[in-house]
Amino acid sequence: MPPDVPAEGRGFRNTYRAELEQLRLQTEMMGVLVDQNLERVGRLLRDGDLEAAQAAIGADDAIDAMNVSLTERCYEVLAREAPVASDLRLVVSVIRVISEFERVGDLALRVAKLAPDLALLRSVDRCFDILLAMSDEATEQFRTALRAWATVDLGVAEQAAEPSAWMELYYEQLLDSLLRVSGPDGIRAALRALVAGRAFDRIADHASIIGSRVRYLATGDPNHLAAEVR
Amino acid sequence: MPEIRISFHQELDLIRTDLLRLSALVNETIPRATEVLLGGDLQAARQLIEEDDVIDSLTIEIEERCYQVLALQQPVATDLRAVITAIKLTSEIERSGDLSVNVAKAARRIYGAELDPKLRGLIERMGEEANTLFKLSIDAYAEGNAGLAAALDDMDDRLDNLHKEYVQAIFETQKESGMEVQTAVQLALVGRYYERLGDHAVNIGERVQYMVTGWLQEHTGAARLSARAAQATTASASGAGPSASENGPQPGLGLVPPINEGTA
Repeated sequence: MPPDVPAEGRGFRNTYRAELEQLRLQTEMMGVLVDQNLERVGRLLRDGDLEAAQAAIGADDAIDAMNVSLTERCYEVLAREAPVASDLRLVVSVIRVISEFERVGDLALRVAKLAPDLALLRSVDRCFDILLAMSDEATEQFRTALRAWATVDLGVAEQAAEPSAWMELYYEQLLDSLLRVSGPDGIRAALRALVAGRAFDRIADHASIIGSRVRYLATGDPNHLAAEVR
Repeated sequence: MPEIRISFHQELDLIRTDLLRLSALVNETIPRATEVLLGGDLQAARQLIEEDDVIDSLTIEIEERCYQVLALQQPVATDLRAVITAIKLTSEIERSGDLSVNVAKAARRIYGAELDPKLRGLIERMGEEANTLFKLSIDAYAEGNAGLAAALDDMDDRLDNLHKEYVQAIFETQKESGMEVQTAVQLALVGRYYERLGDHAVNIGERVQYMVTGWLQEHTGAARLSARAAQATTASASGAGPSASENGPQPGLGLVPPINEGTA
């Protein structure tokens, strides 16, 4: 800080920097809540843990609350501080990333709400195995994206931005298996499995968008912004 | 100073005009994608896929212009919400364009396959519904019509129901007429693209509501959490006190500290 800046001004800038840091950290915290919900959804599918599903439904309200609160704070910072350059990139990235987190949370919720139909889902063996693999892949992809946000590490961001080839493969395998499902409850089970499969596929897609956004945040290079648009 | 404000509002108008131009380009792709799929027209499929580059570059242009406005013009209040909404809408609109491209790509993959008349009918109807929803969402943006924006979620139920009917029809057709599994998989993916188009339209509606009223969809979840917190506080203080709804949901949930807390 240059010595000719009045003490009052120094305090103002420090507060501003601390606010930006708070925004970044609180965004990460929101991501952690989403990650916990993905974990709960995994427990529901793997172990039939219905309490985890119930907890996920309750926790989603906290995720929504953080989205509202962080959005409002970003607006305040934009209006009051008029950030530029990398600070502006951070604030708009927070706005973008919290939307992605919130959507991932909604998708996890969609699977958690399938809890009453768990037995039906399990009745289609092969499809269910694919769903478990999709759940793990989606969670893994999301964690990479969250790590990218927390560290603003270009390498991790690039890893997260890369669309998951596994997920693509699993999704096609799932559809293939669903079309072979038979039995009186076959179609009902297949439709529910499709809801879950689609949710996992989209979670991975959102994780990839977050990765691209962090690349842009880290470098400021508009080419990375272009990579977000596919 | 007056000159600056005029130029600023001109800049905002430009963003809005470009966003509407982007939407028009994307809107046009939806019926075209359906035609490509049902007509098996490979030339038209290629054209549609290539034209997506125009949509992509316009999207980036708009987003960068929004950043410039934020950095140079420092908009506040409604103007600020309008710029942020524009940033968020670009990605929803651009992704809608990608979904049309995906339909065109699926048309290539199933080229030569005979489609059951029932499935053709459902594809046509899903295409029309998706197109209508997208168009209405953009109308809501253009007019700043929060009522229309809010209604999109319910309107999307029609497309969701059609999608369910469609998936069921694929299962049945595949079992009855022995349609190739790969064709059935591609058709199921097509259904998902239309359904996602509807989701994007609903998202656009939510963004428009926020632009017009400052209301976020997530306010509902936030209010529920707040009500539960109030209920827990009341219960611990007095055993059986008034219900949370009597206290009313409170903003400021304790999850995110107020903006200057601990930093001054």
